[in-house]
Amino acid sequence: MKSFLFIAYIIFLFLFLIFSYLFIDPNLAFLNNLYTGFAYNNRIYASFLYIVFILVFFIFYGIFYKLIQIKKTPIKDISLSIVASLAILIFSYPVFLSYDIFNYITTAKVLFFYHENPYIVMPIEFLGDPNLSFTHAANKIALYGPVWILLTGIPYIITFYSFIFTLFSFKLFISLFYILSIFLIFRITKNLFSVFLFSLNPLVVVEILVGGHNDIVMMAFVLLAFNYAINKKIIISVLFFVLSVLIKYATIFLLPVFVYLVYASIKRKKVNWGKIFYWSWVLMFSVFLFSFLREEIYPWYAVWFLVFTCLIPNRRIFLYISLAFSFGLLFRYVPFMISGTHAGLTPIIKSVVTFIPPSLVLAYFLVKKLWGKLYYQ
Amino acid sequence: MKNEKIFTGFIILFFLLIFAKSLFAAPDYVLPYPDVMPGSKFYNIKLIWEKLSKYWYFGDFGGFKYNLKMSDKYIIEAKTLFEYKQYLLGLESLKKSDKFFKEIPGYLEQEKNENKDISQNIRMLRGASLKHIEVLEKLKKDSPEFFLWQPENSSQTELYLNNAFMDSINIRKGSL
Repeated sequence: MKSFLFIAYIIFLFLFLIFSYLFIDPNLAFLNNLYTGFAYNNRIYASFLYIVFILVFFIFYGIFYKLIQIKKTPIKDISLSIVASLAILIFSYPVFLSYDIFNYITTAKVLFFYHENPYIVMPIEFLGDPNLSFTHAANKIALYGPVWILLTGIPYIITFYSFIFTLFSFKLFISLFYILSIFLIFRITKNLFSVFLFSLNPLVVVEILVGGHNDIVMMAFVLLAFNYAINKKIIISVLFFVLSVLIKYATIFLLPVFVYLVYASIKRKKVNWGKIFYWSWVLMFSVFLFSFLREEIYPWYAVWFLVFTCLIPNRRIFLYISLAFSFGLLFRYVPFMISGTHAGLTPIIKSVVTFIPPSLVLAYFLVKKLWGKLYYQ
Repeated sequence: MKNEKIFTGFIILFFLLIFAKSLFAAPDYVLPYPDVMPGSKFYNIKLIWEKLSKYWYFGDFGGFKYNLKMSDKYIIEAKTLFEYKQYLLGLESLKKSDKFFKEIPGYLEQEKNENKDISQNIRMLRGASLKHIEVLEKLKKDSPEFFLWQPENSSQTELYLNNAFMDSINIRKGSL
């Protein structure tokens, strides 16, 4: 990789880091000194800047993609880009796109500070708790699985209940699973291109390294499960699969795959891993598409299938659809950023921006196929 | 002038009534539907489940919720049994409800000692107490004061229903 490109990427990451702090919640007393109110008072400018940042993110990704394809990027450069993204964005303000990390922290507080069961007691019941002023799902019992809630004890307790330290220790904790996922993708595929596809995908970078979503923890556990299954350690594999399900439940849809793996292990059948990852992609992509039935399609849900896209990068249609969704999903934030409301036209525009890029990809493949048929006739 | 006085008096009375209503009215506390009843083959499973679920409701808030939930469950069980004139079983359920209800203030005290804001739980407990008293008053009215329970193959039992209802009501009044 050309060094100026790498430096440009680092500068860009720093600018994005600064940009994230324009979105500090006015109710977050812990970061009062850094509050400017810019994003709330200048919605159009903030949205415009966000769009530019996302576009530049994808331009960098595209350049890296091309350089890797023509084999001009050695492993060292990819590793450095990953390390740079991690080292810089770990300090970004995580809540400028979603409030989930506050929810993780407040739920952890219910269990580890108040010593109450978060599946029974809602954070809102602790009247006067300072976290209530900025936690958005305080009126709900724990939304995630028990394994996740127990894991959150690690970043929560080690910071001695100091909110700012807790916030960043949660980010660090989640980033460790990002590193683990990258390591496992490389271990499974032995392919640097797969590692790049996942680790520097702008959606993964924004949603995991900035937003700190626990979806990466769930997927890291499922990757561990596949890794052990490949190494014929099926019991440990099933154990990690169960742990993954008990983080955020979504991977339960991979149950047929794991049932087959157990069956294949008992019958000593040879496993076609390409097919396994193909079906895993199909299953997780279906869950992602139907997630609107529960609430809505959140951008970070794409991590569920992006992991498998990177395990089978030769499936071109899967790859391009995944990339198109990565692109479209990050623009779902724009309508709310501009209007400040989830009502009115916002949901419609969100759907449009999400589905237009993958629809164009599908249309391209369809036209290409038809054209091919006509040409050979 | 006279009309003005009447009008002013009417307004004062109106606000007094609203104030009095909000002061004395039972909050909208909803009791659960009856669960599996004694005699059902699933009743023992229910009892085991209840014992196990106690561990799920750890913590002071959890303990408060668990005991209130159980007390609600058993008062409804008692009500259903009394309505079917199953006085012996009904009385047992009522005693269970009392036992759980008596545990609640202890949890409130612990919450208070840990500097947790208990105002919401106090409101909830007050609502529950008023609702329980409402149910108990009705049962007291509709049931005999005394009943001699005479099973076929064992000794008879004297049931002082009125006293039992009064005891239960007094337990609840203690938390108002």
